[in-house]
Amino acid sequence: MTEHKVGTREEWRAARNELLELENEHAARSEELAKKRQELPWVPVEKDYTFDTEQGKRSLAELFDGRSQLLAYNIMFGPDYEAACPGCSNLADHLSAAVVHLNHRDVTLIAFSRAPIEKLQAYKKRMDWTFPYVSTHGSDFAFDFELALTKEQAEGVEEIQTLLKDPPDWLQEWSEQVGTTLENGMRENPSWIAFALEDGVVYHTYTRSAPDHDFVVPYHSQLLDRTPKGRDDDFRAWRKDEYPDS
Amino acid sequence: MTEHKVGTREEWLAARTDLLAREKEYTRLGDELARERRELPWVPVEKEYTFDTDDGEKTLTDLFDGRSQLLVYHFMFGPEYTAGCPTCTSIADTFDGVVDHLADRDVTFLASSRAALEELQAYKRRMGWRFRWVSSAGSDFNFDYGVSFTRDQLQEGIDYNYRTLPGDMVAKLLEADTGPIAEQAEAAGTDPAGYMTEGPGMSAFVLDDGAVFHTYSTYARGAEFLMHYYPILDRAPKGRSEGEDES
Repeated sequence: MTEHKVGTREEWRAARNELLELENEHAARSEELAKKRQELPWVPVEKDYTFDTEQGKRSLAELFDGRSQLLAYNIMFGPDYEAACPGCSNLADHLSAAVVHLNHRDVTLIAFSRAPIEKLQAYKKRMDWTFPYVSTHGSDFAFDFELALTKEQAEGVEEIQTLLKDPPDWLQEWSEQVGTTLENGMRENPSWIAFALEDGVVYHTYTRSAPDHDFVVPYHSQLLDRTPKGRDDDFRAWRKDEYPDS
Repeated sequence: MTEHKVGTREEWLAARTDLLAREKEYTRLGDELARERRELPWVPVEKEYTFDTDDGEKTLTDLFDGRSQLLVYHFMFGPEYTAGCPTCTSIADTFDGVVDHLADRDVTFLASSRAALEELQAYKRRMGWRFRWVSSAGSDFNFDYGVSFTRDQLQEGIDYNYRTLPGDMVAKLLEADTGPIAEQAEAAGTDPAGYMTEGPGMSAFVLDDGAVFHTYSTYARGAEFLMHYYPILDRAPKGRSEGEDES
């Protein structure tokens, strides 16, 4: 017999109704947050940035690709990594399908990483991704928008230095999974970043970085939150082609 | 020049930091909800359900496919439809990639609809999907889990999303010549009543010592989280741009 609390349909329904109230409140909060996000001031981007894309060099304005909004996920894939972070790869696994739907809402969806474009292209092919994957290699962009830390900046961040001195096992394993030293690995910042383009001017509007249980996580975490046993945060992330049983 | 409020980096950061505190509250509330979901009592499934699948007829227990947890997306594709509901279709585009990641967490994820299996198979090929899609055509499954209604039930009133929708309110929804229901019905190749014989949702089941329990179901906008591009869109500068939503 199961050790979980078992109930009748009526008992379940009563508990479910209570939970529904909370879920509705949560959804109402989400709408409020979406409004607040749209009210953030826009900050003009005054510096010129050039990116390496699959179509050659592009400016930030050109990355909008004819639309007025640009939304990018910054995948942890530094120049010294051999492969992108597995957790970020899990998140990115779900992006390709969103592209067509967002494009039709005037949003261009892309991913950034700091590794050179050739590395990104090879990895994208391996992962079967179809979203545009843009390299910020050789530009100040990632540093200016806090998507990456310079060596000197990283040395000044106490949390990073503490972790480096005595890294937990999962972090040590993670650095083996990405194929670089932890010191290098931890300089990339997994984040979402949004820009608007209006009358030829690009504005920065929004950034959200890890840790975040809600948005800077793979989409399937939200499904796990509805399973009988829930999500397990200690779970080690695997790339989709590296699961031990596959 | 843009008409949107423009600010300096410092002004933005101040507003962003305020918002971040609220975002974190929201996230914590979400964690709390996930805990409460797991505390719901489990209800034994005492009826036998059979499904038509790519591998022949299967019971609900068989659908777990060796794992202990089962998530079923109730995809709106009724016997009267000639194509899947467009919104469910965009949802399925986004969840197509979740199967492997969930399987490794002891979760089998699949979709179920009331149309005949051959129709589901053809539509799945058209869309290029990989997830498992089973037909509940010959069973009470959809009715028992609150996502299908007969035309008679639509007239009398239905129980959906933990509340009762009286017949006259359903009739009002069906009357409109324009709007989402009329549009989606047309895209699904049926009339509004035929379209509304199905509702969207997701149900969760667990298999423990050979017994199947129902643990959770969510409907309507409670299933919106499955539409992965919506939370993404909520972070774009202009958001969803679809006006006030009804909940």
